[in-house]
Amino acid sequence: MNTAQVRKLKNGIALTVCTLAAFLGLFWLFFIIWDVFFNGIGGLNLALFMNDPVPPGLEGGGLRNAFVGHLMITFFATLIGVPIGILGGTFLAEYARGRKIARLISVLSDIMVSVPSIVIGTFIYAVIVKPVGHFSGWAGAVALAIIMIPVVLRTTEDMLSLVPWTLREAAFALGAPYYKVIIHVIYRAAAAGILTGILLSIARVVGETAPLLFTSFNNSFFSANMNEPVSSLTVSIFQYAMGPYDSWHSQAWASSLMITVFILVLAVLGRLLLAWRYGKRPTI
Amino acid sequence: MNKILSVFTVLAVSLLSFGNSFADDTKLNGAGASFPYPVYSAWAYDYSKISGVKLNYQSIGSGGGIRQIINRTVDFGASDAPLKPDELEKDNLLQFPAVIGGVVIVVNIPGIKAGELRLDSNVLSKVYLGEISYWDDGKIKQLNPGKALLHKKITVVHRSDGSGTTAIFTDYLSAVSSDWKEKVGAGTSVKWTVGIGGKGNEGVANYVKRVGHSIGYVEFAYAKENNLSYTLLKNSSGNFVEPGFESFEDAARSANFDPKKDFYLWLNNAPGKNAWPIAGATFILLAKEKKESNINVVKFYDWAFKKGDQTAKRLIYIPLPLSLKNKIRGYWKTNRVY
Amino acid sequence: MTRSKKNFVDIFFLSISAIASLSVLLLIIGILYVLISESSPAIEKFGVWRFISSTDWNPVKGSFGAATTLFGTAITTVLSILIAVPVAIGIAIFVTEIAPSFLKGPIGAAIELLAAIPSIIYGMWGLFTLAPIMSNYIEPALQKSFGRLPFVGMLFEGTPMGIDLLTASVILSIMIIPFTASISRDAFNLTPTVTKESAYALGATKWEVVKNVVIPYSKLGVFGGIVLSLGRALGETMAVAFVLGNNHQITASLFDAAATITVTLANEFTEADSDIYLSSLFYLALILFVMSFVVLAIAKFFILKTEKGIK
Repeated sequence: MNTAQVRKLKNGIALTVCTLAAFLGLFWLFFIIWDVFFNGIGGLNLALFMNDPVPPGLEGGGLRNAFVGHLMITFFATLIGVPIGILGGTFLAEYARGRKIARLISVLSDIMVSVPSIVIGTFIYAVIVKPVGHFSGWAGAVALAIIMIPVVLRTTEDMLSLVPWTLREAAFALGAPYYKVIIHVIYRAAAAGILTGILLSIARVVGETAPLLFTSFNNSFFSANMNEPVSSLTVSIFQYAMGPYDSWHSQAWASSLMITVFILVLAVLGRLLLAWRYGKRPTI
Repeated sequence: MNKILSVFTVLAVSLLSFGNSFADDTKLNGAGASFPYPVYSAWAYDYSKISGVKLNYQSIGSGGGIRQIINRTVDFGASDAPLKPDELEKDNLLQFPAVIGGVVIVVNIPGIKAGELRLDSNVLSKVYLGEISYWDDGKIKQLNPGKALLHKKITVVHRSDGSGTTAIFTDYLSAVSSDWKEKVGAGTSVKWTVGIGGKGNEGVANYVKRVGHSIGYVEFAYAKENNLSYTLLKNSSGNFVEPGFESFEDAARSANFDPKKDFYLWLNNAPGKNAWPIAGATFILLAKEKKESNINVVKFYDWAFKKGDQTAKRLIYIPLPLSLKNKIRGYWKTNRVY
Repeated sequence: MTRSKKNFVDIFFLSISAIASLSVLLLIIGILYVLISESSPAIEKFGVWRFISSTDWNPVKGSFGAATTLFGTAITTVLSILIAVPVAIGIAIFVTEIAPSFLKGPIGAAIELLAAIPSIIYGMWGLFTLAPIMSNYIEPALQKSFGRLPFVGMLFEGTPMGIDLLTASVILSIMIIPFTASISRDAFNLTPTVTKESAYALGATKWEVVKNVVIPYSKLGVFGGIVLSLGRALGETMAVAFVLGNNHQITASLFDAAATITVTLANEFTEADSDIYLSSLFYLALILFVMSFVVLAIAKFFILKTEKGIK
């Protein structure tokens, strides 16, 4: 073996190992998705969506309360978190562009994106649940909103920065005030990007469990009142998966399947949108 | 942009009005012990059908039940460990028992069925202290002559959360083993020396079901629900008793609950000949000043005392004796919630 | 519309957007303040160093220490990084240098989708699917092969139950592979093509280019990615809650149950029955918040540094 052959061999081995690593990663992804699908598909039936839970030992219970509750919590979290995120991102990209404060908040948001979500839960317990005196859907929604804000803020900032400066100048030349330029010109130009940010932030919080454990708590009945404890899919999955009944397990798998499909659809949509509009990938 | 906004607004308004249309239903929130969770949720389910009152009971462990009612985040707390009268006084609480049940020992040993393995308090405390760590230990073999016990490591399962089932179990172990009392003690959550922790009775049942050669303690209904192999246990009269309706009732019969002490009482190691040694009442805690919700909670339990016995029996709980129910009604009257 | 009115609206819009962006800063300060004030009884009672070094977690006696949960957090995090990093870097090399260009996008995106799967799903999958696999096949095999060695054998003592530190770490590692891989890929992609091509022109093999050009060039970024993943792993709750066994102990064996800060919070927060207990839990949350914040800030620093270095 001469050096050239040795080098070639080394090259071959190293590249094979890297390829195997990539396929290992893919293997896990498909293993988990297949497993969720395989176990969840059996539990998918109309009763799951139409009926409320029944006590252990009786047949025919479902998770209607958790589906509706989860939808409500996520919806109001979006309603609170998205406007704050978009406005915050606007400030960083427009009014404070290039200033130190913008850099600082941008970096802090990036850090906030990865802060443990359970800490947010404890924070909300202390500032909302305890003073109000009971668990509530609102507390859960605020907790999720806090998780969404930095995600939306950062994508908005990135997307607005992509809008060419000349576009603003053209609008200013027509005598438009800055706020009008932002709303009518810049938002319009960056709409696809902002929408992606919203989609990704929803995908981020739909699967959250930890911040809901002691904020929105859980409810065994159907309740559409956000001032009450509200059932959520993820907390129900936790409770059901840890529980002893086979009927609970199959409902937990079925709910997991629904959540996974929903999130993957959102994530793929977001990616496609970005690729189609900007030819880039999301940074968060 | 405007279109999206208007769609959102319509959605928000409709969701909110939708929510408020349900708001006139009476709702009661309770949380705590997982031990009576099956029976409370079955009662609540039946009760909501006849009265429209939705009683949302969440099993989070007795420690949590006590905590949440002290913080007034729920309408009532539930705990398997009774609070002493001075503790109740301090936090301005009322307390009454609701139902009685038994804690049973469950094992997962291939080939050993329910009611086949015999244990006594000494072996049990040593297993939970980690001093006996194999199934073929001499002390276990001695109690089970002729059983094929393999040299397998015992996986001890206990609760990870604050739990009344743990309180009853550790109170029992403290009563029968001075070693246990010294090293670990009794409480809703204790410092375990060995084993893995499951959340709630559900979690323990689940781990015992999934992990071979394990031992755990759960409320009897959970053992039945999951077809777990429960063991026989030697009681204070020296008999090996099988857990079940009769042996729990025997333990309950010897109980003397006193309204003046807010019913504070443990049922462990009861003297009856066939009494199951690890039994306990589970208690409801109310906040004295929450008049309105208290009346509704009491209404629910009054209904359960009248109509819920069959359901309780179906789920292997012991309904309170009539004399005790009347004592409780008297206690409610005294405290003006009935 | 008069000029002043326009001005007013503009200032109004500026103010609310400024407030919205400052809300991030306020949140961080608010969380820190609330956690400190909620945990002050525990801080007063146990101090800082004593709390961190005490292995006592005894609700009966009302004495608490963070050592066991810090241990569990540290072990699961470090172990998961050890498993994830080589795989993630392999993936990044594959996606940037090896894969045919039509595969680059889809494979990269597919691996990133791993990051989108919520942690509760990982937890469930871990309990029902991975734990039995670990206890029936992988752990006994480890015991047979490494269990006999001195010292190393200690790591694999005990009964393979699948509910332990090792399973939790494996799940965590699967969860953080996408972060490490995608940041490493971005860092690799920043290597100037000219440098790479010069190396090829000198007759270097692909692996030599990766080893001697790409990796040295993007060291900092990859390191930042690893630290970021570490920060993510620190705060993971549900994925480990199912398979860790929640036992407050310090153990040499990876086959033993343990507890992390996050799992302790999830399991015991609503159940803490005394003020000092709850306060100690807030104290744990505070430690976790500070730890992950510092780690993430370090990661951000390295990642920014690489981006700057390129510009």
